[in-house]
Amino acid sequence: MTINHTFTVMDPVGLHARPVGQIVTLVRESGATVTLRNSDGKEASAASALKMLAMKVKSGESLELVIDAQDDAAGHALAEAIEAFVNEG
Amino acid sequence: MSTTELTGIGVGSQAAVGNVFLLETSDAVYEHRSTKHTPSEEASVLATAIMTTAAGIRDESATSDPTARDILNALLIILEDPELQEMAKPYLLEGDDAPTALFKALDEFAELMGDDEEFLSRVADLRGIAARISGWVRGIAAGPSIPQEGTWIIVADDLTPLETSQFGDSVVGVVTELGGPTSHTAIICRALSLPAVVSAKGAMTLTQGEAVLVDPEGNRVVSGGALSDATQALTFIPQSDAPLITVRANIGGLEDATHAAKTSARGVGLFRTEVLYLSASREPTLEEQVASYVEVLKAAPAGKIIIRTIDAGSDKPVPFLALGHEENPALGVRGFRLAHDFGDFQKSQLAALAAAIDATGRDVGVMAPMVSTVEEVKSFHALCHEAGITQVGIMIETPAIIHVLPDLKGLVSFLSIGTNDLSQYLFAADRMHPQLGALNNPWQPGLLRSVKQVVEKAQDLDIPVGVCGESAANPLLSIVFAGMGISSVSVAPSAVEAVSTALASVSQKQAQQASVLALAASTPAEAEATVRAMFG
Repeated sequence: MTINHTFTVMDPVGLHARPVGQIVTLVRESGATVTLRNSDGKEASAASALKMLAMKVKSGESLELVIDAQDDAAGHALAEAIEAFVNEG
Repeated sequence: MSTTELTGIGVGSQAAVGNVFLLETSDAVYEHRSTKHTPSEEASVLATAIMTTAAGIRDESATSDPTARDILNALLIILEDPELQEMAKPYLLEGDDAPTALFKALDEFAELMGDDEEFLSRVADLRGIAARISGWVRGIAAGPSIPQEGTWIIVADDLTPLETSQFGDSVVGVVTELGGPTSHTAIICRALSLPAVVSAKGAMTLTQGEAVLVDPEGNRVVSGGALSDATQALTFIPQSDAPLITVRANIGGLEDATHAAKTSARGVGLFRTEVLYLSASREPTLEEQVASYVEVLKAAPAGKIIIRTIDAGSDKPVPFLALGHEENPALGVRGFRLAHDFGDFQKSQLAALAAAIDATGRDVGVMAPMVSTVEEVKSFHALCHEAGITQVGIMIETPAIIHVLPDLKGLVSFLSIGTNDLSQYLFAADRMHPQLGALNNPWQPGLLRSVKQVVEKAQDLDIPVGVCGESAANPLLSIVFAGMGISSVSVAPSAVEAVSTALASVSQKQAQQASVLALAASTPAEAEATVRAMFG
């Protein structure tokens, strides 16, 4: 089951260490495969904190999540949680 | 017995006595070393060391506050990332030992992140954790653990979240060689109600175990000092009903406005409008802006309201204004400089403010941040008049604008000094820089005399000057400002009562005397001490 979810990064400092840490922890627990893709098509696996940070996603940029989870519901829940980590962290 | 006394910048008001606990990291953990093991043996040493150390740190931080734990966890996840171990491999193949390869991989990654300030601020912490990993591999204590028994004053160059997260009940105070009033250490100590003296030169010369007094009110650390030697927090007894000059509140939005209305603040001296835009993903419509402003103006405490137009920059980005990357955001396109590229947005903000003023009938002045030339002021004045705003002012934040004040006659009807930025620009000292806290001390004679200069030039223009920087929240400084001829101060809602009480307890003559003393001092310590002595 692959799900795509796109949202705008609103945290003033962009995608930073704290949400990245939360994403890695959550994705690891979920067993799903998650890839982040920015508007330039640059990708990073959500299993790697370094790769996500190296994307240098800034505030205002859009970010696409490509989620391969066991079912739709799990995928959507993951997408929502990741967006919340990034924008409400 | 000789007593040493160190001076710095105090955080908190309660003093503490305890034994010095030096948090020092042995240089041996950072040394570059080579290994006789094979690269693959060394790679497995690295993997085990990271795993073991991370587990240890997670255990230790299990009881610290959730935010600190999240950040620490993020740092550990970066170190545990297999990608990092991949980056370390080439160095292992060259014969480096595991810690050396780890440090080099971190350096390489930090270089890759280059301009990312948020990440740069974490590099010291990452190296701190890497030092513990190195200590584990090399059998060196990377930093002794703070004993749970006893009463300790932690002494260090500066503290990282990793270190502060390990503070238990045995830690009663903190002294750091570096850091300023707004540095990480100061913020954490305030949150933990731990007395601290930061930016204390010579802190690392204190001896392990010696008894010291941490005296934040006196901005000093005294070896062998007793609690009874501590400088008493000043208490002011009001002599009149009203403060000597108007005390207003600084607000960022509706919540602050409502909070401020419950204090004795007479109006708002600084409404930071950017707060409304920082989290908006698209430009709000005129109607949406008007609605937000009406809400805030209605809720704000009775009295005059001074609104600052949007003060964003590449370090304080607004999602819908594309600001791009800047090498040096503090010296970049920020404040009113944005109006050049985003003129339409600036016009729409002013139109919204004018409509909200009309709708609420409040007495409102609007001011521009970060202006440094007469042309900029003329352009702001023209934009305001076009929108129908009549009370136009500016922030005094750049040294340059002070010198052209005589040329602003008829263009501005009030001035407001932002002492935080004015300090940063007068001293060419980054407000957040850990080693430059002392230059951003608001008692610096260079700052106080600049404030006085602004007041004198404003008297020639016959317009009032307010101070809305954090310095005004210091009751003693608010008295000094009143004595200089400042006509209003604006402070965080939480500081309104303390400042109002201090300003109600002095006469005009006393305030003038305090300002004369402060202006005559040649060092910040002397300025603060002489003024304090008047009221202590």
